[in-house]
Amino acid sequence: MTATHWANIQERGTLAGMRAMVWIRRHLGRLPFRLVLGPVVLYYYLSHPLPRRASREYLARIWPRHAGHPPRHPRLLGLRHFMAFGQALMDKVDAWSGLPPAVCIAPEDHARLDTAIRGGRGGLILVSHLGNLEICSALGQRRPDFHVTQLMHTRNSRKFNRLLARSTGRQGPDIVEVSDISPATAMQLAARIQAGGFVVIAADRVPLGERGRIRRLPFLGRPAPFPEGPFRLAALLRCPVYTLSCLREGSAYRIAFSAFDDTTRLGRKAREAWYLEAMQRYVDWLAAQCRQHPLQWFNFFPFWHAHD
Amino acid sequence: MASPLEHELKQLIIETLELEDTTPEDIDPDEPLFVEGLGLDSIDALELGLALQKTYGIQLEAESEEARRHFASLRSLAALVEARRNA
Repeated sequence: MTATHWANIQERGTLAGMRAMVWIRRHLGRLPFRLVLGPVVLYYYLSHPLPRRASREYLARIWPRHAGHPPRHPRLLGLRHFMAFGQALMDKVDAWSGLPPAVCIAPEDHARLDTAIRGGRGGLILVSHLGNLEICSALGQRRPDFHVTQLMHTRNSRKFNRLLARSTGRQGPDIVEVSDISPATAMQLAARIQAGGFVVIAADRVPLGERGRIRRLPFLGRPAPFPEGPFRLAALLRCPVYTLSCLREGSAYRIAFSAFDDTTRLGRKAREAWYLEAMQRYVDWLAAQCRQHPLQWFNFFPFWHAHD
Repeated sequence: MASPLEHELKQLIIETLELEDTTPEDIDPDEPLFVEGLGLDSIDALELGLALQKTYGIQLEAESEEARRHFASLRSLAALVEARRNA
């Protein structure tokens, strides 16, 4: 395991800083928050060479493939990347404070989501660290019949969520840690799906200590390590599988929800082949979104070499 | 002599894990199910757990050490089902 694994990147003092930012946002409002956010992001950008390098590598990979115009100030791109992250954090705080940013969902996506919820079969939802999924919690509040359990790998996000829950007095989604899925955890997840609920898991980060269950798949022109775990879980749970994303477009977030697969009838012998095929499909889905929204990629670690 | 429940569990294991070349007689109730013995892996344990839940309505506590004990052999699995299925 290299020292640059994302789960090992310690963020000293970050929690105290975040606590201060949450306080400012909640008690002083949006404008003071924005004024403070700029210098904070700049400080973070200058004082954290590792995420900065990771960002630079990602930007160098994505930009030639990006469909839109070339950036006007390429030198500032890294800083803009970090600002997008700061913006995402602010939106998270807003969402959790009961002031969710505007969210839109296309009629097709809405229909698909509605069918999935009403179908009552529940399912597994694959997500990523692109965009701002927390904004979807606003969606959960609007649809009381949308029951979501979130699988998480580390305490990092958990810490942040606990902090938000404490300072906003609102309960976030159910969170289950997946450092080690035991038969008991699997049963718990299966029971939730059985009851028509949804289990959300990100499939773009390899958990710490994972060995052997990694596949290197071509991603933006170069093989990168991806975890097999979420796909093994999908096969195991024998349920519908979906993808969900929440990306900022201008001042609003757009939620996209699509059917990905259905593992109900996937036999054990067909699994190995399915893992590879499904993972590549997931990676392509991810890459397509990166091309559309390059600066909303929030994997600030050496993505392609995390398991060298 | 295997109890009816033990026989039932052997069938469940063979069916769930698609062990086509294994017959119920091949499974020694006292041998470890995992790694040695039948040579099942941790994914198989998850799968088996889900099958037990579906068939007998058994729910395990999140304590993974305890689960490991229950899944040690067919006999301990049978004891678990016996104790929990009517609970």
